[in-house]
Amino acid sequence: MSKFILALSFICTTFFVHSKQITVSVLTELNIEVANVVIYLTPKNPTPSNTSNEIAIMDQVNTQFLPHILAIQKDTQVRFPNSDSIKHHVYSFSTANTFELQLYKELHADPLLFSKLGYVELGCNIHDWMLGYIFVVDTPYFGKTDNKGNLTFDLPEGEYQLDIWHPRIQDDFSSLSKQLTLPGESEIKIILESPLLPDVNQYEEESGEFSDYE
Amino acid sequence: MKKNRANFLIMNKTLKWKIAIHSKTLPLFFLSLLTLSVDGLAVEVKGLVQLNYVKADEQSSWFDKDTGILAYSKDSANVQQAFIELSDNFSNGLSYAVVANYYQLGEQNVGISQAQVSYKPLSSNKLRWRGRVGFFYPKLSLENVDTGWLSPFTYTQSAVNSWVGEELRAVGLELTLYSPGRTRNSPVSWEFHGSLFKANDPLGTLISWRGFAMHDRQSLNNERVPFAPYPSVIQQDRIFHPNYVEPFHELDGNIGFYLGTHIEYYKQSTLRYYYYDNQANPLAVSQERLYAWRTKFHSLALQHKFDGNTRVLGQWLSGSSVMGERFVYIDFDAWYVMLSHKHKAHRISLRFDKFKVREDDIFPWDPNNSDGQGVTMAWRYDLDKNWQIGVEQHINWNSADIRATLSQDIEIDQQQSLAVLQYRW
Repeated sequence: MSKFILALSFICTTFFVHSKQITVSVLTELNIEVANVVIYLTPKNPTPSNTSNEIAIMDQVNTQFLPHILAIQKDTQVRFPNSDSIKHHVYSFSTANTFELQLYKELHADPLLFSKLGYVELGCNIHDWMLGYIFVVDTPYFGKTDNKGNLTFDLPEGEYQLDIWHPRIQDDFSSLSKQLTLPGESEIKIILESPLLPDVNQYEEESGEFSDYE
Repeated sequence: MKKNRANFLIMNKTLKWKIAIHSKTLPLFFLSLLTLSVDGLAVEVKGLVQLNYVKADEQSSWFDKDTGILAYSKDSANVQQAFIELSDNFSNGLSYAVVANYYQLGEQNVGISQAQVSYKPLSSNKLRWRGRVGFFYPKLSLENVDTGWLSPFTYTQSAVNSWVGEELRAVGLELTLYSPGRTRNSPVSWEFHGSLFKANDPLGTLISWRGFAMHDRQSLNNERVPFAPYPSVIQQDRIFHPNYVEPFHELDGNIGFYLGTHIEYYKQSTLRYYYYDNQANPLAVSQERLYAWRTKFHSLALQHKFDGNTRVLGQWLSGSSVMGERFVYIDFDAWYVMLSHKHKAHRISLRFDKFKVREDDIFPWDPNNSDGQGVTMAWRYDLDKNWQIGVEQHINWNSADIRATLSQDIEIDQQQSLAVLQYRW
C-alpha cells in the first residue's frame, strides 16, 4: 500500500511539475481574432503513439458539414452520419484521402480511417455549396481556436513545433511555424501578414431549406 | 404498289407524329430502372398527400368545361395533391427520379408528372457539367422548389407557374455547365443550361383561349386538359379545334430548345433567366385537330432572402404564341411578386399576380384578349416533420373577351378559400 501511495504521488508530482499551460492566439493583419484555426504542437522527441479509439464525427446538418473543420490525429476513424432528412453524396479528391460516400437518410455508412497527414476537402455532389474540411495531424496536442481566436494547451515540458492551418489563411503555413521550448512563453500570438480569403461561410447561413432544386 | 408505299409513308409519319410520350413507355422504363436499382442500393421514397376543404367560387372551372380561372367549382372536400417520388443516386454519378401523382381533379387521375435520369460526374474542377434526359421541367421557377414541383409558399400558385405546370414540360436532353462559388472562393455561383426537346407542341393553347389561371394542378404524361366549348374554337366552320388540349404531344417533328442561366450570390440572392422556344410548325395539325403552337417566351425569376426567414421572390414571363395561318396569335405577359416569412414552424406568404394576353390575328370572331390580377395569402404550420396544416385565401379580378361567345360576362371577380391538411414522408 505504501508503495502504491509513493508511486501515485510520484506520478502526480511528475504531472503537475512538468505540465505547462500555453495560450495561442491567431490574429489577422488588422488585429482581428480568427476562430476555428487548427493549431497543433508536435513534440521534438516523439511520444509513444496514443491514438484513442474514439471515432470522430463529421455530421451533415441542414445541408452543412458539422463541424465545418474537424481536426483529428492520424489513424483516427471518422463517421459520417446524416442528420438531414435528405440524402447526401459526400466526396473528397484530396490526396490525404480520396473517397466518396452515399449517405442516405437513416442509413449509416461505415467510418473511414484517416492515415495520411494534411487537409481533406469535403464536398457533396448533390448540394454543391456544401464544403467541409478534415485536418489530420501527427500529434496528440491539437485543437481549434475559439471565437476570440484563442486556444489553450496543457503540455508536458519539452520542445515543440507549433503549426497552424485554416482554409482562409493565405500566408505560407511554414512561415507561421514556431519552435517552442516549455517552460517558456505562456502566451503566443500569431499575426497573419496576408488578408484572409473571403468568408464563404455565408453559404451555410443561407443554405437550402426546400428539398427540390433550390 | 406506289399507292401502298405512299400509304405506308403517311402511316409512318402519322405514327411518328403521334408518338408524343406514349402512356406506357415512361412507366415501363422507370419500372425497369427501379428494378435495377433495388438490386444495387436503397431507393429513396418520398411522398405527400394534401387533403383540403375548399369554399369555391360561383364561377365553374375549366375542369368543368366552364370559364373560371380557379380549379374548384363546388364547396367540397378533396384530395388536392398526392404523389410519390422514387429516386436513387449511384456512385458513378447517375441518378434517377420519378414523380407519380394522383389528382382528384381533371380527366386523368393517375400518371407521371416528372421522370428523369441525371448524370452528374464527381468533379473537383471549378467548371463542371451535368446532364439529364427524360420528362422534366426547366428549372425556371423559384416558386416550385418543394418536392414534386410543389410550392412550399401558397397552395394556389402564381399564374406564371400554374401555366408552366399545366402546359409545359420538356421531353428531351438538358446539359448544364456550372461553377459552384465555393470552389472558387467566390460568393457567386453560376449555371448555364441548354436543352433540346420534343413533345411540347400544343403549348400556348390554354392561355390563348381560356387565359391564365391559378391553381396547383400539374398535367400528367399523356394528359388531356379541358376548357369551355367556345363556339369559335369548336365549330366546324370556325377554327374546328376540340375543347381540350393534350399538351405533351409531338405534332411536327421539330426539335425545340431552351437556354437558361442561374446566377447566385451565396445562397442569398438568385436570378434565373430562360428563353424557351418549342420551334413548332403552327401549320401542323393532328388527326384529332390539335395544332402545334409556335410558342416562345422569356422568363426572369428573382429571389432575395433578407435572412434565413424572410424572402421576396418574383417572376416575369413574356412571350408569344401562334397557331395555323395566324388563326390565333397572342402576346402574353405575366408576373408575380411574393413575400414569404417563416417564424418557427409558421410560414406566411403573400403574393400579387398580374397577367395579360393580347391578340393580333386574322379571326375577329375568336376574341383572345384576357387579363387579370390576383392576391393570394397563405398560412402554413408544421405540426411536426410529417404533418402540416394551412389555410389560404385567394381573390382575383379577371377578364376574358371570349366569354362573350358563351353569353357570359367578360369581367368576373373570383375568390376561393382553402383549408389543407398535409402529410409527407
